[in-house]
Amino acid sequence: MRITILSLLIGIFLTSCTDLDMNPLSYGSTENWYSDQSEFEMAVNGLYKSDLWVNGDYFGGYPFFDEWTDDYTRRNETWPVTNATINGQWPVLEVCWTYRYRAIAQANTIVASLDKAKDHIDQSLIEKYEAHARFVRAAQYSWLISYFGDVIFSTTVMDLDESFTMAKTPKADILKSIYGDFDYAVAHLPESYGSSEFKWATKGAALAFKARIALYNQDWKTAGDAAKACMDLGRYELYDDFGKLFLSKTKNTKEGVFVIPRSLQLGSASIDCIDVISRNASGRGWLTPSWELFCSFLCTDGLPIDESPRFNPREPFKNRDPRCTATIVEFQTPFLGYMYQPHPDSVTCYNFNSGKYQKNNDSRTINAYSSFNGLLWKKGVDEDWSDNQQADPDNLLMRYADVLLMYAEAKIELGEIDESVLRAINQVRARAYQSDVAETSSYPAVTTTDKNQLRQTVRIERRMEFAFEELRYMDLIRWKLAEKALNKNVYGMLDVADLRTRVVEPGLWFFPEIPEIDEDGVADFSGMYSKGLIKLLAERKFDASKQYVWPIPTKEILINPNLRQNTGY
Amino acid sequence: MKLTLIFFFLAVSQMMAIDTYSQSTRLSLNLKAAAVKDVLDEIEENSEFVFLYNYKLVDVDRKVTIDIREQKITEILKTLFQGTDIVYTIVDRQIVLTNKADQNSFMQLATQQAGKVIKGKVTDAHGGPIPGVSVVLKGTTSGTITDMEGNFSLNEIPPGAILQFSFVGMKSQEIVVENETTVTVVLEEETIGIEEVVAIGYGTVKKSDLTGAVGSVSGEAVTSRKTTQLSQALQGVASGVMVTRDNNAPGSTATIHIRGITTIGDSNPLIIVDGVPVNDINDVNSNDVESISILKDAASASIYGSRAAAGVILITTKRAQSNQLNMEYNFEYGLEKPTERPEYANVTRYMRMVNELRWNDLGNGPDEYPTYPKDLINNYNALYQENPDLYPNTDWNSLIFKDHATRQSHVFGLTAGSKNIRTKVSLSYDKTGALYDHRTFERITARFNNDVTINKYLSAKVDFYAKRSISKQPAISSGTIIDQGRMAAPIYAAKWSDGRVAYGKAGENIYGQLHYGGFNNDWYNQIGGKLSIDLTPLEGLKISGIISPNLNFDQNKTFTKQVPTYDWEDPTVREGYLIGFSSNALNEARNNNHQVTTQFLTNYEKAIGLSHLNILAGYENYYAFYETMGASSNQLALSSYPYLDLKNSNFIDASGSAYENAYRSYFGRIMYNFDNKYYLQGNIRYDASSRFDKNYRWGSFPSFSAGWVVTEEPFMKDVANLSFLKIRASWGILGNERIGNYPYQSSLAFSNALIYLDSDIVSALTAAQTAYAIRDITWEQTESYDLGFDAGLFHNKLRLTWDYYRKTTKDMLLPLEIPDYIGLGNPDQNAGKMKTNGWEADLTWNDQFGDVRFSASFNISDFKSVMGDLGGTEFIGDQIKIKGSEFNEWYGYKSAGLFQTDEEVNTLPRLNPSVRPGDIRYQDISGPDGVPDGNISPEYDRVLLGGSLPRYMYGINLNMNYKNFDFSMFLQGVGKQNSRLTIPMVQPYYGQWRNMPMLLEGKYWSKYNSEAQNLNAEYPRFSTVSLNNNYTMSDYWLIKGGYFRLKNITLGYTIPDQFMQSLGIQSCRIFSSISDLFSMNHYPKGWDPESSATGYPITSSFIFGVSLKF
Repeated sequence: MRITILSLLIGIFLTSCTDLDMNPLSYGSTENWYSDQSEFEMAVNGLYKSDLWVNGDYFGGYPFFDEWTDDYTRRNETWPVTNATINGQWPVLEVCWTYRYRAIAQANTIVASLDKAKDHIDQSLIEKYEAHARFVRAAQYSWLISYFGDVIFSTTVMDLDESFTMAKTPKADILKSIYGDFDYAVAHLPESYGSSEFKWATKGAALAFKARIALYNQDWKTAGDAAKACMDLGRYELYDDFGKLFLSKTKNTKEGVFVIPRSLQLGSASIDCIDVISRNASGRGWLTPSWELFCSFLCTDGLPIDESPRFNPREPFKNRDPRCTATIVEFQTPFLGYMYQPHPDSVTCYNFNSGKYQKNNDSRTINAYSSFNGLLWKKGVDEDWSDNQQADPDNLLMRYADVLLMYAEAKIELGEIDESVLRAINQVRARAYQSDVAETSSYPAVTTTDKNQLRQTVRIERRMEFAFEELRYMDLIRWKLAEKALNKNVYGMLDVADLRTRVVEPGLWFFPEIPEIDEDGVADFSGMYSKGLIKLLAERKFDASKQYVWPIPTKEILINPNLRQNTGY
Repeated sequence: MKLTLIFFFLAVSQMMAIDTYSQSTRLSLNLKAAAVKDVLDEIEENSEFVFLYNYKLVDVDRKVTIDIREQKITEILKTLFQGTDIVYTIVDRQIVLTNKADQNSFMQLATQQAGKVIKGKVTDAHGGPIPGVSVVLKGTTSGTITDMEGNFSLNEIPPGAILQFSFVGMKSQEIVVENETTVTVVLEEETIGIEEVVAIGYGTVKKSDLTGAVGSVSGEAVTSRKTTQLSQALQGVASGVMVTRDNNAPGSTATIHIRGITTIGDSNPLIIVDGVPVNDINDVNSNDVESISILKDAASASIYGSRAAAGVILITTKRAQSNQLNMEYNFEYGLEKPTERPEYANVTRYMRMVNELRWNDLGNGPDEYPTYPKDLINNYNALYQENPDLYPNTDWNSLIFKDHATRQSHVFGLTAGSKNIRTKVSLSYDKTGALYDHRTFERITARFNNDVTINKYLSAKVDFYAKRSISKQPAISSGTIIDQGRMAAPIYAAKWSDGRVAYGKAGENIYGQLHYGGFNNDWYNQIGGKLSIDLTPLEGLKISGIISPNLNFDQNKTFTKQVPTYDWEDPTVREGYLIGFSSNALNEARNNNHQVTTQFLTNYEKAIGLSHLNILAGYENYYAFYETMGASSNQLALSSYPYLDLKNSNFIDASGSAYENAYRSYFGRIMYNFDNKYYLQGNIRYDASSRFDKNYRWGSFPSFSAGWVVTEEPFMKDVANLSFLKIRASWGILGNERIGNYPYQSSLAFSNALIYLDSDIVSALTAAQTAYAIRDITWEQTESYDLGFDAGLFHNKLRLTWDYYRKTTKDMLLPLEIPDYIGLGNPDQNAGKMKTNGWEADLTWNDQFGDVRFSASFNISDFKSVMGDLGGTEFIGDQIKIKGSEFNEWYGYKSAGLFQTDEEVNTLPRLNPSVRPGDIRYQDISGPDGVPDGNISPEYDRVLLGGSLPRYMYGINLNMNYKNFDFSMFLQGVGKQNSRLTIPMVQPYYGQWRNMPMLLEGKYWSKYNSEAQNLNAEYPRFSTVSLNNNYTMSDYWLIKGGYFRLKNITLGYTIPDQFMQSLGIQSCRIFSSISDLFSMNHYPKGWDPESSATGYPITSSFIFGVSLKF
């Protein structure tokens, strides 16, 4: 009996040994990954995840880089970039840095793993995967050197110990490697994809991104050549309707050179619309276009507002480049089902859905929190934004209009001004007027061949074309315009009582005066402010002694003795 | 009277009880020509001895002269009654006096009383007879006491009678007598003082035999704290146990650290319940706890080597004894009120302060009313009276928070023990409400502990437990509710005057979110049990096989509802949706996991002469498996059906994952003691964990300890007032491996990317490495030394335990910062060293003054951890771990007051060009070249600012009994701590719209102040632009965070037995208990030193309860 029980106990003991060699159950293991085609395909897919590109989940969706420019007004608020408080602890900067390097590490891992796979994967596939990895790596390093200047650079999988002592690589050296990667990508990426293939990056995308980083580094020749090569592919064309190009329902157009799609149904990061849309449409209307942006749109005669006889400050939307009303909601037009009118006396407005007049929450008389400067974004915004306050337009990271304008800018700077340069600018401008580039009478075609004039023209063209598209910040930086534009204060409408007595009653609505626009397209409102006709919303400050590059994230400096903070921080 | 007679009968039997008290107590007497009676009184007064005698038989008026120094009682009595016929019997502290002549007659008298006779024997747990046990027929005064062999006999016992057995130093017991004529009763030792038996790893030992540092806590000490969760009840009860909590939300728990934090990552102690590891100490109901042992040093804990680095808590649950039969019911009802409520500005003050802030940020220009016009502010109250919808003045605090929350608790217990089967059943139900609506916590627990004795060789324990807890919350986090409920600005409307929900601050309306936003409910279900078969093939040898499964089935359902709001005067005009509530969304999650522990133990105990040997050898296997499943759907059409059958098929998502881990261990222990004087103990455990690679998997963890009971030495016998002294020393190594599950192989995370396929958007599967793999990662080891002593003074009335320890953790598993440019997350790695020094002391005083029984205890502990060469750094928000720093030391700028003038701002180093007078000034410590560079930067000017952990933690416990009243008071505190005034406490206009803390009023730097006022300003100026400058981590915001707290007061009254017994109730106690009534601290008004800045507050509890025993 005792023996039986003893054996029973030992039996429990013997059968209760668990095998300790355990592998992840619901994860892959790098032990045996990168062995076949499908695993490489999944790894390449990973390079195109939206969070590795600028619009990550972290940022809430809307184009935030523009908030650090003179294109945006967010009530009284300023950002570390626009109030000169930026340092290496700014979380946004840390996130940007981390995500860029995450993408680079993934790309480097793919390149390194391809060696192992040489025996059992077709050479053409190996080249294809390497081309994708190098395209992504180059695009990400382009971003890093643009914002941070000299950065840590590696094209191999980093060793942990070694990483703690790495020093910055000069921007110029990194640029060479970027060119090399883009060239490899150009040589090995397809021009387009079949109907059963994922639309990863194309040859055209590699050319366009190469052009952009070259342009950012004043390497006009490379920029011009790459942009030209992209144009010569003949794969891209401008979408007919500028106003509709940015809507959620306009997807996958021929203008898109490199696009990360969004889809609410597939649960991707969506644009959080509430801050942008009007109060009547259940939004907050606090993230608004700035008056500076509004004033930068040329008149239909091609002249700036302070020079054009067609500009009327009482009807500021009239006779403007069509991109003005495609970007900013024109007063007294339907917007998201309501007649938009911020006028303090417009206490009711027409509701197109109910067919009745109702309280006008977009007038600060009714709702003190509606747009502080009377303006609202229109570019890309439609009913889709207001029904669930979420929208999923394509993230147009590179579009053909940019290729054309980069080409023009490069050629202008090179002094190689020819018909192709004017045509590139005019193609973009004509599309805005929905006319053919050849019909120069139907739009204010650019005809001058003066280098300085053309330089200003293409810069203003970029501002009109790309507002809301996260390009303005780097344009301000590379044109060294930030120290002027970002040291101007933010203005808006007077509070309702003062607005009535000082602006509305004297008949000065909307702009009491015409602001002066300087040769760089920067508007000056200080005259109106000193007369008490407009309100100071916030003070902007930009420290030109250091802010042309961002600081390196503090944490990186603290753990690596060989890493020195950028000058001035 | 009858009883008195029977005591004489006892004396006749002439037994000599072996008794520690009478052996250890020494008395001095010096009386001249005193009556014997007076001598006896003198002895009673100076000791715990009580004399029983019949003055007719003992001549107590006889005059004697006595002069005795430091003699045992036997010597004194011998001297006192020399030459008389008086004989005496000592039974513990009772001394019975009688004369030889009367022995026989009394014996006859006792046996003559015929009737139904019950005979029996009373033994101790080891089977030894106990003489002198009082046996009384319940409800009467008739009874007897046991003889030398522990036998007794009672006559005239009616069927169904209850016999009560009591003996000093033993737990009283009752049995019901039906038809049987013989009974056997086993009395358990009462666990008081150093004779207490404490649980150690895989066994028990008398406290006096311990060689390691083991803290013990009785179940009563835990239940008296009246917390729902066991972890919270441990705060301050034992030295070296740091229990921290930051809220008292329904169902909230506390964090426990033993002897500081010696490891990073998971530094929760290992919790063992009845010998089996469990995940969470809170899985055990406080009412089921018999006792808790805290294994603090390596020698005690290393038998659990692998996971013991952070200490071990052993919980023993209550079990039934033989011949026990009773039923208990406890009921408690209570109220919870927050200890503190911070104050915020009223609506007009708010507007003025916002104006000041904006005015500051706009350069202090001519317009001093940039946000709220002057007229509006001046007329606001009138405007509000006129139209509260257009001019709201919302008292968010009273709208969201109730004055108090309620709680109730029911505990039912049943204990039934026969000779062979002993069962303890407990069932409990708790329900706690919250300080705001729609939140409750409910818990039901059940435990059935069964002991079965099959025969002399074989016995078994079969335990089963189940727990279900349900947490219901609104669909917003408690942090948001508390934070916004306190801080939402009064200028925003919560609801319109007709009762409809308002838009608040552009959709930020905590009132609307709370009441209309849906729910977030959790259900946690746990069942488990333990089967243990014990075999005793020969005397002293015990072989046990144990299997214990634990299964958890958890479920969550979060239903977020669409909450549109409409205009105050036109309900057809939609203003928008409350933030986060723009569509109906349902999220369901299921987490299932199970753990199985199997153990095989062999224990051999043998006494050879004065040597006593105890050998343990064991094997343990542990396997755990976790699986999660989730499904969700968004944009549901209906807001009243929280089920996925009503999903929106276009917006649906599903997820699932799983992981597993396992351990295998072999261990052994030898305990040797010579003559209860010299103790030696050695442990070793050999452990393998699935978390490490095959080649780095096994770790061995040895320990040794020794103890010397100095008072057993002959030369110590004459030391006055020192009853007991033991010196202990130990050394050992402990391990830790609680990091991610597969750290040595880097895992690929699967995800999805959206990509065009032709003109469709598809979700393509992606794979990417997310963490760096460290192939040779292995055990973290903590080496620890402990030196301590236990002392008993004044007949053990005063007991003192003191320990000093040093711990060195090496190969610490630490997620050190790796450069972000490596592109992967921080992996756990075997980093450097950390050293911890600490000490702890426990002091207890037990005494009795007449009817008042009294005990007081005090415990205090302190430790300091310093990081050695880590090979890196870890940043944790405002804190850091770096070589030379304390564990999680504050890290930030050194402040130098506030900037006062433009000149100072322009000439002194500053953080950025936007800094203005009224902002905090910092010291320029260094620069990129290692010298001050005239610039303040986060890279070169931040320094260590002092440790963040509490120092000198203490607890004071007072207990008093007077007749039927019992009283206890518990005080607890932290002597010293650097605490940070957090941003929500001190930052005005938090989140760019919240209210202004009134603790700033009159104390902040302002353009409206005089220069002198500004020189004395405590807080910086109001500014949004300077937020980063002013509220970043610096010593400006550190305060003395120590506190002293009245933790609990309980007053109980036991209703006299006679009264209750007529109602069929054996005993009834009513009590009232107050917890966290008040504290003393340096925190600003409105803030509790323990509460987090935005979380659920700490509350005071007011409880009334009743305990019934049948």
